[in-house]
Amino acid sequence: MLRALFSSTIARLGAAIFLFQLVSSGAAIYLLRAQVQDLVHEDRTRQVLDVRDDLLATYYEGGADALRNFVSRREGSVADPLIFVALSGKGAPLLSNVEVLPRSISAKRPEPVTVTSATGLPASEALAMRTTLPDGSTLVVGASTATERGLDLAFAEAIGLTIALTIGLALVSAILLGTLISRRTHAIATTAEALASGNFAARVADGHAGDGFDHLRRQMNLMAERIDELVRQMQSVAGTLAHDLQSPVARLRASIETAMAADIGSEAEIALSMARTDAEALQDMLSAALELSRLESGAIIDRRQPMDLGEVTADLAELYEPLAEQSGIALTWDVVPLRAQIDRELMSRALANLIDNAIKYGGDKIHVSCRGEGDIAVVSVADNGPGIAESDRDRAIDRFTRLDNARTRPGAGLGLAMVAAVARIHDGRLELSGAAAEHGGGLVSSIRIPLG
Amino acid sequence: MVGRILVVEDDDRLAEYIVNGLAEHGFTTDRASDGRDGLFHATDADYDVVILDRLLPGMDGLAILKAMRAAGIATPVIVLSALGATDDRVDGLTAGADDYLGKPFSFAELLARVHALQRRGKGMSVPQQSSLRCADLELDRLSRQVKRGARRIALQAREFRLLEYLMMHSGEVVTRTMLLEAVWDYHFDPGTNVIDVHISRLRKKLDEGEAMPLLHTVRGAGYRLSAD
Repeated sequence: MLRALFSSTIARLGAAIFLFQLVSSGAAIYLLRAQVQDLVHEDRTRQVLDVRDDLLATYYEGGADALRNFVSRREGSVADPLIFVALSGKGAPLLSNVEVLPRSISAKRPEPVTVTSATGLPASEALAMRTTLPDGSTLVVGASTATERGLDLAFAEAIGLTIALTIGLALVSAILLGTLISRRTHAIATTAEALASGNFAARVADGHAGDGFDHLRRQMNLMAERIDELVRQMQSVAGTLAHDLQSPVARLRASIETAMAADIGSEAEIALSMARTDAEALQDMLSAALELSRLESGAIIDRRQPMDLGEVTADLAELYEPLAEQSGIALTWDVVPLRAQIDRELMSRALANLIDNAIKYGGDKIHVSCRGEGDIAVVSVADNGPGIAESDRDRAIDRFTRLDNARTRPGAGLGLAMVAAVARIHDGRLELSGAAAEHGGGLVSSIRIPLG
Repeated sequence: MVGRILVVEDDDRLAEYIVNGLAEHGFTTDRASDGRDGLFHATDADYDVVILDRLLPGMDGLAILKAMRAAGIATPVIVLSALGATDDRVDGLTAGADDYLGKPFSFAELLARVHALQRRGKGMSVPQQSSLRCADLELDRLSRQVKRGARRIALQAREFRLLEYLMMHSGEVVTRTMLLEAVWDYHFDPGTNVIDVHISRLRKKLDEGEAMPLLHTVRGAGYRLSAD
């Protein structure tokens, strides 16, 4: 389950969700950063202009000395450590908060420049503008934009956090989605599997989400309905046919017996006895077909009772042992007591079919066993005959299949279908497999039913 | 041993086949072709055995059976049915049938069962004696020992039950199906000659080296244990 959850589809889904979230939140962060930067830029520009206006006002009020005083004392708006001022003209240039004044500074508006700070920090980005005072000196006012680095760091942190969150969210949503999808597809797949294994009554449970899965479910159920109907029709035709043929065949056989009772010539008697054999075979086949259609239609009363499957198995093996011996076959059995819900009559018939088949088509050894495998009881009939090719085994159980193998000619073919039907009635199944070469390599027919 | 049999069967040809066959074996028969007629006959006269088809026009044979039993008629009844499966057999026996025979059946099978029921109905069946005897063959139910003359015969459990059943019906024809039902409690036909082989094993133990065989095969019908 967990493995399936991380299968390629889910993994790809997770990756897609991750990428999508990453790109969208990355874009959002980038946009936010650009806007914040614009805002800061604007703010700094305004600050530079404000400072310059302050300084100009001081200059016009108190003259060049007042300005020099103001700047060197770093009062008011000049107190901001981010602000730097350079005043050149008379005497040495007055530098505040800046080491070397950059060249070529725009006079129109604050523009980005690189300045070397007085505090010994490395050169940093700044916005600066130049104003020429009426006395010919030049006033340069700038604002460091170094703090924006901190902003970038914050953004980088935000991006890191976003990636981490995105991975987590993508993983969680992929698992949630995957679980949801696999749960809904699981129900549909289980139903499909049941249909494939011959349980045509299987349907997908109702859903009211009204999504694509519901559509799939409805179509699936419609399909199952149709298959079920067709199979039922086919079975009912076969059943009806067998039923309708029974009476004429019974009368045919009665007539033959009446004719044989009369004193007739030996040649006629030979012909009649052959006719009787055929009529009997026909009757047997019809009974088998009728019984099978009853079993398969599920129209039988559940007569299962808890009993010892080992005993049921041993009883039947014992019934057949003398016949096997007479046919030169060693029939052995090995059973352990196992309690299961069993219809003794049906289970015995199914086992009789398997043993009968093994006597007719197997080799010279038959081993019948009844053992437990976990919570499953397994009754097996193994022979050392030619077996059934692996590719033909599934078809061998099918009532409508005729293999080129004598084992599945009329009677026996229905026989295996009947055994499979009985196994299903016991909530189990019939399994055909090949015996290991050291055990003769024949056919192993196993009825597997739940214990309890 | 002759007797009077009522055949309730709607299929004319099958009824004729049964009636003729029974007549050949010395039985007097009446035939009813529907349920009402059948019920009327059954309550009217004294029969040894009633052969009742389950599927009658407009009526389930079991309804007649129930009506008969309700009216206090204890005549042994064999139910015939094309629905030979277990479900129907159990239903039939629950409704008060004494025996159940699935179609198709052979006449020999029906005849053997009619004989067995007739004997039972007349109170001629073997009571639960502690020992059974047929000529010099003796079976002790308590010690589970079997002797032929002075010779002790060792039998397996199933062989013992097989012989016990044959001895309880000694002189009668017992079919393979009757043996399967009584000794193995199986109500299906395993086909082939499964029972024949059991009989021949038993026969070997009983009759080998004896001047007078006791276990006979009745061709086309079954077996009979008798001195003749």
